[in-house]
Amino acid sequence: MTSQGGGKRPLDGIRVADFSWFGAGPIVGRTLADFGAEVVRVESEYKIDALRLTQPVPPDRPATYNTGGFFNNFNAGKHSFLLNMNAEGARAVAYRLVERSDVFLTNHTPRVVAKWGVDYPSLRAVNPRIIAAYQPMQGSTGPHKDFIGFGAVLTPVSGLSHLSGDPARPPIGVGTNYPDFTLNPGHTVTAILAALRHRERTGAGQMVELAQIESVAATLGPALLDYTVNGRVATRTGNRSPGMAPHGVFRCRDQARSHPAAVGQDPDVRERWIAIAVRDDDDWAALCAAAPGSAFAGDARFATFAGRKRHEDALESAIAAWTAGEEAAALQERLQGAGVPAHLVQDAEDMMDHDAHLRARGYYRRLEHPETGLSAYDGPVVGLGETPGDLRWAAPLFGEHTYEVATRILGYSDDEVSELVAAGVLA
Amino acid sequence: MTDPTGGALDGIRLLDLSTQPGQYAGRLLADLGADTIKVEPPGGDAMRRVGPFEGDVAGPETSLTWRYFNANKRSVTCNLDLPAGQRLLRELARDADVVIESYGPSYMESRGVGFEALRAVRPDLVYVSISGFGREGPHAGWQATELIAQAASGVLTLSGDPAGAPQMLGANQACITASLSAAQGALLAVFHKERTGEGQLVEVSMQEALAIAQETAMQQWDFQRTSRERQGEIPTLPGLGAYATRDGYVYSMVGGPAGASWSELVDWLIEEGAGGELVAGHEAAFRALNMATAVQALRNPVKAAEFGALMPIARETLAAFFATRASREIYEEGQRRRLLIGMVSTPKELMESPQLRARDWRLPVGGDGAAADLPGPPYRLSATPATVRRAAPAIGEHNREVWLEEVGIAPEEFAALVAEGAI
Repeated sequence: MTSQGGGKRPLDGIRVADFSWFGAGPIVGRTLADFGAEVVRVESEYKIDALRLTQPVPPDRPATYNTGGFFNNFNAGKHSFLLNMNAEGARAVAYRLVERSDVFLTNHTPRVVAKWGVDYPSLRAVNPRIIAAYQPMQGSTGPHKDFIGFGAVLTPVSGLSHLSGDPARPPIGVGTNYPDFTLNPGHTVTAILAALRHRERTGAGQMVELAQIESVAATLGPALLDYTVNGRVATRTGNRSPGMAPHGVFRCRDQARSHPAAVGQDPDVRERWIAIAVRDDDDWAALCAAAPGSAFAGDARFATFAGRKRHEDALESAIAAWTAGEEAAALQERLQGAGVPAHLVQDAEDMMDHDAHLRARGYYRRLEHPETGLSAYDGPVVGLGETPGDLRWAAPLFGEHTYEVATRILGYSDDEVSELVAAGVLA
Repeated sequence: MTDPTGGALDGIRLLDLSTQPGQYAGRLLADLGADTIKVEPPGGDAMRRVGPFEGDVAGPETSLTWRYFNANKRSVTCNLDLPAGQRLLRELARDADVVIESYGPSYMESRGVGFEALRAVRPDLVYVSISGFGREGPHAGWQATELIAQAASGVLTLSGDPAGAPQMLGANQACITASLSAAQGALLAVFHKERTGEGQLVEVSMQEALAIAQETAMQQWDFQRTSRERQGEIPTLPGLGAYATRDGYVYSMVGGPAGASWSELVDWLIEEGAGGELVAGHEAAFRALNMATAVQALRNPVKAAEFGALMPIARETLAAFFATRASREIYEEGQRRRLLIGMVSTPKELMESPQLRARDWRLPVGGDGAAADLPGPPYRLSATPATVRRAAPAIGEHNREVWLEEVGIAPEEFAALVAEGAI
């Protein structure tokens, strides 16, 4: 595996003991690794990260612990170190890693944290400078602290599902385990970086607790204040926006599929949709000018924002009738050329194969991996001009760096490594 | 200068010139201890005109959107369309560590206050630029809003019912996510600057910031050349998806990848006398129901037909059971039984949640006046907790404090700048 890019990175010299799994935790480690931290991802055959067993995998190779693209995307640039925390003697190894690390990270439940002895008081006793970050779903205190869940359950519990989607339909969520991918990792990295800065100035470590429910709820502030201040219980508004009209997603001409459909999908039709957001009367005039002959251009009912809001159903029907005959990709170019906020509703095929902008920017990184071949990864979450950060290598194979971490970082001799392997600790 | 904040970012001064996509970043960094100055145009930031409003009365001080995302900031006004206003911002930048702006790739440059111009007065400046598509590339000048960024980033196509249009994620998640990228980028750059003395330009693309939230869609295309499409409600098995309750909804994943099995759910139904036909005729089959047994049944045509006939019974029994109970009761009793069930919390239910109440999830607003508590922080730092030291400011509330006392503008010049409309 080759190192991508070089040069200085802001977190050079920072080591992370990454005891996380699934999405919310590993993405934290991935971002810290992108920007220079040495991240030791602790894994075990005896509590395997289920993402190592999850689709999608390359169809033409046997599926192994190393072929899951979902796992690989979140763990690129890390060292994989096998440590069975349920084995006798494992705790001492974990503590030795924490002693030699700057950051500890886990999204295991409070019960597992206690069982493994990796609670903050224990870690602080080992290394007073450690920044220990925990991501329990409901927090480590309170009557619901042992409730179970993952992203798809957190989305409704935290309040986001109620505020997302069609108001005429049940709150079905947003189609993914959304909070795992940006809210929980993004907040956690922010807190860790602030704590690192504090430690640079004072020498003091600390604990960060991100209760996932609080991490999502904190992003819903205006709706929560609408309740606490006005007593109003806001609900979802679909694709409409209180301050813009038209504001929605409109179907364009269908396309033939370029590749076979997946199971359950229409074999022939690839739906094409365009998002349009008209912010003000200037945008409206530009949209009308780009749609000569449409039923809405020149309709006096729609001349003002108040009129467009009052007749929003009719407005949306007229726009949908017009977009139905348009080719979505060409239409987005035309509307953006006229200064109207508009975009094709992109799927992964659009983003990876056809979005000329993402390609010119090189957003998706393609890295060689021994079991998945040349494979795509998301780029870093932010661009830094002088210390750009990048994926240092593809996802590690399961246990790939166990010996290296045990000897180079933890300082065990070859004999000690053999004993730890034989005892089922490094497993 | 202002008093020490006691936060992790004590001593950092942030100039916040962002509107919707960046305002949450400024709030996060302010709560962590940065002295944050919102630089507004003289008529006030556009977010002051976004609802909901206190008492439903629109006004620059009553917007709850403004109040939430701009708490803990000071406010100065500065008209960047006038040379005098541009000069003022360059003066202010002399003492700034971080600037965050979201006006679009060329706005600040065209007014002589872009990265290069501000770096000329503050060589180690961290300058964070947020835009829909980033500063470079063929779409760099494209117009973006929350909806447009969701469409461009691949998340919108995954959300909603297949029978209808793709549905936006609520609560401006593209703007929130852009702010999180901005906060991470700003802190990485501050960390580097304090170690080396080197500032830099930090770039956030709303499209790229959200792209990782496509979950598995990207790898599915990369590996398998098939498109992941929106599924809506998972139609395959009863026990999965949203169910109406007496007072709202719950979201159930029983039979899914974690938690107790259908057998536990059947026990619950029996205990409550709600098993009906499901338990009377088919108890064993339902006790065994999960993804794996469903797939197994579907492999055998005879079993598949029997299995298919049972599904509506289970769905209706469950729907009837949930419909007569309150969401919170189902959620708490279900979780007590280790069943993977969540309630679909409304804002009211969230704020009244026994869990968040027990954890005292709120941020008291310090400073003058009797401002109400804000909802709580996203994280808790044991040594340097997030704090709110002042409520969101009035337009230009700190003009005198900042321009006269901190920047050092002479009183007569200040009066002239106000008269000119630069402040």
